[in-house]
Amino acid sequence: MLLAVLFSNSEGNILIERFHGVPAEERLHWRTFLVKLGADNLKGAKSEELFVASHKSVYIVYTMLGDVCIYVVGKDEYDELALAEVIFVITSSVKDVCGKPPTERLFLDKYGKICLCLDEIVWKGMLENTDKDRIRRLIRLKPPTDI
Amino acid sequence: MAQPFVKKDDDRDDEAEYSPFIGIEKGAVLQEARVFHDPQLDPRRCSQVITKLLYLLNQGETFTKVEATEVFFAVTKLFQSRDIGLRRMVYLMIKELSPSADEVIIVTSSLMKDMNSKTDMYRANAIRVLCRITDGTLLTQIERYLKQAIVDKNPVVASAALVSGIHLLQTNPEIVKRWSNEVQEAVQSRAALVQFHALALLHQIRQNDRLAVSKLVTSLTRGSVRSPLAQCLLIRYTSQVIRESGLNTQTGDRPFYDYLEGCLRHKAEMVIFEAARAITELSGVTSRELTPAITVLQLFLSSSKPVLRFAAIRTLNKVAMTHPMAVTNCNIDMESLISDQNRSIATLAITTLLKTGNESSVDRLMKQITNFMSDIADEFKIVVVEAIRSLCLKFPLKYRTLINFLSNILREEGGFEYKKAIVDSIVILIRDIPDAKESGLFHLCEFIEDCEFTYLSTQILHFLGNEGPKTSDPSKYIRYIYNRVILENATVRASAVSTLAKFGAMVDSLKPRIFVLLRRCLFDSDDEVRDRATLYLNTLGGGDGSINGNKEVKDFLFGSLDVPLVNLEMSLKNYEPSEEPFDIDSVPREVKSQPLAEKKAPGKKPTGLGAPPSGPTSTIDAYEKMLSSIPEFSSFGKLFKSSAPVELTEAETEYAVNVVKHIYDGHVVFQYNCTNTIPEQLLENVTVIVDASEAEEFSEVTSKPLRSLPYDSPGQTFVAFEKPVGVPAIGKFSNMLKFIVKEVDPSTGEAEEDGVEDEYQLEDLDVVAADYMLKVGVSNFRNTWESMGPDCERVDEYGLGVRESLAEAVGAVIDILGMQPCEGTEVVPSNSRSHTCLLSGVFIGNVKVLVRLSFGIDGPKQVAMKLAVRSEDQTVSDAIHEIIASG
Repeated sequence: MLLAVLFSNSEGNILIERFHGVPAEERLHWRTFLVKLGADNLKGAKSEELFVASHKSVYIVYTMLGDVCIYVVGKDEYDELALAEVIFVITSSVKDVCGKPPTERLFLDKYGKICLCLDEIVWKGMLENTDKDRIRRLIRLKPPTDI
Repeated sequence: MAQPFVKKDDDRDDEAEYSPFIGIEKGAVLQEARVFHDPQLDPRRCSQVITKLLYLLNQGETFTKVEATEVFFAVTKLFQSRDIGLRRMVYLMIKELSPSADEVIIVTSSLMKDMNSKTDMYRANAIRVLCRITDGTLLTQIERYLKQAIVDKNPVVASAALVSGIHLLQTNPEIVKRWSNEVQEAVQSRAALVQFHALALLHQIRQNDRLAVSKLVTSLTRGSVRSPLAQCLLIRYTSQVIRESGLNTQTGDRPFYDYLEGCLRHKAEMVIFEAARAITELSGVTSRELTPAITVLQLFLSSSKPVLRFAAIRTLNKVAMTHPMAVTNCNIDMESLISDQNRSIATLAITTLLKTGNESSVDRLMKQITNFMSDIADEFKIVVVEAIRSLCLKFPLKYRTLINFLSNILREEGGFEYKKAIVDSIVILIRDIPDAKESGLFHLCEFIEDCEFTYLSTQILHFLGNEGPKTSDPSKYIRYIYNRVILENATVRASAVSTLAKFGAMVDSLKPRIFVLLRRCLFDSDDEVRDRATLYLNTLGGGDGSINGNKEVKDFLFGSLDVPLVNLEMSLKNYEPSEEPFDIDSVPREVKSQPLAEKKAPGKKPTGLGAPPSGPTSTIDAYEKMLSSIPEFSSFGKLFKSSAPVELTEAETEYAVNVVKHIYDGHVVFQYNCTNTIPEQLLENVTVIVDASEAEEFSEVTSKPLRSLPYDSPGQTFVAFEKPVGVPAIGKFSNMLKFIVKEVDPSTGEAEEDGVEDEYQLEDLDVVAADYMLKVGVSNFRNTWESMGPDCERVDEYGLGVRESLAEAVGAVIDILGMQPCEGTEVVPSNSRSHTCLLSGVFIGNVKVLVRLSFGIDGPKQVAMKLAVRSEDQTVSDAIHEIIASG
C-alpha cells in the first residue's frame, strides 16, 4: 500500500498531502516526521536526487524538485524500489505540467493540473499510471496515443 | 531591449511574493462555488474554484456535513457543461468529496450515462468515480458494464475497471469473484498496464486456492509477461508457490528456480531486484542458489542511484543474518559504503560488515566505525550498538576492543535510548564473557560518575551490588558508589545505599568501613535514604539492633520478593491502616499474565538490566517461584528446565493456547497458558484432557484446573506427569481443552448463571530429548574439552543420508540435541564440504556435556557425521549417542 504522498515547500509548509489507509490521528505525526526528515537531509540537495529511508516496516523515498519537496511513503509491496518508480512518475509529470522544475509559485499556479496528475498516478494507495505522456493526455480526457 | 529585462524582473518579484492561494479562506471559496449554479456556466472560472476547493482539502481543511453536501450538489450541476477540462475536474472533485450513500443517487444517472458514452475517456473516469462512491446494491446494477469494461479494447477503460475490481474486492468480494473469466482474458492483453492490473486482481481473487495460483504461475512463467511491474508480481507469486510446494523430491531441484534465475538477467532493474530478493528469501536456500543473486546485488552496491544501493545493501544485510559467508565477497564494496552520503545506507553497510567480518577484521572495522559514529543519529547508533553486541558474543576473544569501543561511545553525547542500549550491551557481555567482567564493571563505574539519567544510574548500581562483591578487588568500587551518595539526587542516593549494604554483606573485610559510610547516610536529607541506611545497619549488625544470621541477611538483600509486584501493589492499595500489620503472606502468588495487547508486541530482546535478576535466568526463576507456590508441585524438587512456549492453536482462533514444558528430575509439568478472545464468553473450570497413550513412560499424577477465564485475561491450567527419575523419556501427547462456557452480556459485562460444557481440540505436543538439555555455553571450548579428559568420551560415526546442504544437516543435529553452539561454529561457510561444530550444554541430572561434531558431504549430497561426546558421566555420553541414533 502506498501510504502517503506529500508535497511541501522548502520551509516545510504542506502544499498537497494524500494519505491512504493511515488513521487520521496518525497523519499529523507522519507530516511532522516527513518534514523533519526533509529539513535534515534535503538542504542543498540536487534537484531530483533521490533520498531513501526506512522506519520499521515502512519505506520512504523523497526528493527535491525545484523548490518543492516530494515524499512518498509505502509499505509491503511498495518498498523503496516501487516508491522510486512512483516518485519518478510524479516528478516527471509535475515537470511536464510546469514545463520545468517548479518554483513554489509555479507549482501553485498549476495546482489543479497537478492534482489531476496525482489522481491518475495514485488511486487509493495503488499505483495506476506510470507514463507521463499518457498522464498528460489522460488529464485532458484524451485517449493515450498507443491505442 | 531593456523592456523585456525589466518585465522579467517584475515577474520574478511577483513570483517570490505572490501565491495564487494567498489569504484563501474556506467561507469565501464556498461562496464562490455558487458560480456552479449559473445558468451560463463559465468553465474556466469553475475550474479555478474547484482548484481552490482541492487546495483547501489538500491542506487538511475539512467541510462540515452541510457544507460538503452543498458543494457536492453544486458540483453535480457541472455535468451540464460539455467542457472536457472541467469534466475531468468534476470527476476528481466528486471523489474527493466522497458523498454519503443518500447523496450518491444524485450523480448516479449522470455517471451511468458517461459510463456508456462513446468517448472512451468518459467511460474510464466514470467507472473510477462510480466504483469509489458506490455501495453493494448499486454495484449489482452496474456489474454488467464493469465486466464489459474489463475486456474493453481501450486499455484505459480496462485498467479503470480492473483497478476498481481490486478495491471492490475488499468490500464486495462475492461480486468481484464472478468476473474471473473476464479478468483471465485481460491477463492476456497486449497492453502492459492492463496485464499488470489484471494479474494483480486475478491473484487476489484466487489467493486462497493454492492449485489455481500454482497453475497461474506455471502458465505465465512460460509465456511472455510484458510489463516489468507484472513481472515483479509474478516473481512474488512464484516465490509463494515455491514456499508452499517444497523441493522436488526426485531430482532435489527447486521448482521455478530457473525462472527466478532467468529474471536476474532481465533488462529492468526492478525485475532483477525482485528476483534477487526472492532467491535470497527462499527457505533453506543453498549457497549454489544464492551465488547469482549475490552477484547482481553486489553490482548494485556501486550504483549511482541511492535507492538501488539502499535496496541492495538492505537485502544483503538480511542474507548476512543467515548466510554471512555468502556475503563476504561483497565486503570491499560494503566498506566503501560506510562513507555513503545517505546515513541509512552507511548504517546498513556497517551492520552487515559486522555480521560478515571474521575475527581478524574486527579491529580494522572498529576503527572505521569510530569515525562514522559521530555523524549519525541516535536511532542508527542503537542499531550499530546491537550489532556490536552480537559480534562480541560471536568472537568472545575480541571482547577487549569491543568493550573499549562501547565505553568510549558511552562517554559521548547521546539520548537515553542510546545510552541504555550501550549499558544493556555491556551488562550482557559481562554476564556472558567472564573475562570481560572486571573491565566492564569499571567502565560502568566511570559512566555513573557523570550520568544524567537517574534510571540508568540506579540500574547500574543494582547490577554493581550483585556483581561487584564477587570480583577480585571489591574495594575499588566503593569510591564510585559512595560518590553517588554525596553527589546525586535522592533516588540514586537510595540505590547507592542498598549497593553499599550488599558489599557489606558479601565482603567481610569491608564490613567495618561500610558501616562508617552507612552511618553517614543517617544524616541524609531524604527519608528514604535515611530509612534504608537504618534498616541495613540493623540487618548487617552495625547498629544497636541484634545481629541476624548471615544467610538470612543475604536472602534479604539479594533475594527478590517471592510475590509478583503487581499483586503486592494491589494488596498494599487495599490495605487499610489498622492495628493489624500488613502481612506479606496474604498477597496472592498466582501470576496473572499480561493482557492480550501486550502479548502481541514483538518479542523483546533480552535487555541487560531491568528487574533483578534479569536475562534468561529470570524466566526460569519466575517459573520456579510460581510452580513451587502450587502445593501439588512443591514436592517435585528443583526445576531443571522450562521450554519456550509451544503454540497449540493457530493464530486468531477463538481460544489461544500455548504450553510450557517444565522438566523436573522425576516429573514433567505442562503449563497451558490459555486466552479467551471472545468478549461474549466467560469460560469456567478450564482443564486440558491429555491423552498420553503415545508416551508410555509417563503417567498423569495431577491436574490443576483454571477456575475462570474471562475475555482477554490469560490464565493457566496445569497437568503433571510422573516419569522415571533422571531418564530423558520422550513421547507424544494429544490435548483437548475442556470447559464450561457462559454467555456474557456485552453491555453489562455480567455472565449468565448457567453454562454449557464444551470442548476444543488442541494440537499435539511432543516431549523430545532436547527438552532435557540446558543450553549453557562455555567461553573457551578447547580448554573445557581438554580439562574434561577422555575418560567418559564416546565417539561414533553416523550416516545422515541425503541432505539439502551441509548447513541444513548441522542445523538439524543442533536442534535434535538442543545444545548451545560455541564460537560461532553453527554457521557453515558456503561451498564447504566439511565442517566442525562445537556444542555445550547441561543434561538432566546437572551433568555438563560437550559435543564435537564433524560433518562431511559428498557429491550426491550424502552427509556423514562423526560425533564425539565428553561429559562427567559415561551414561550421559551414551545417552547423547542414543538421541542421535534414534533421531
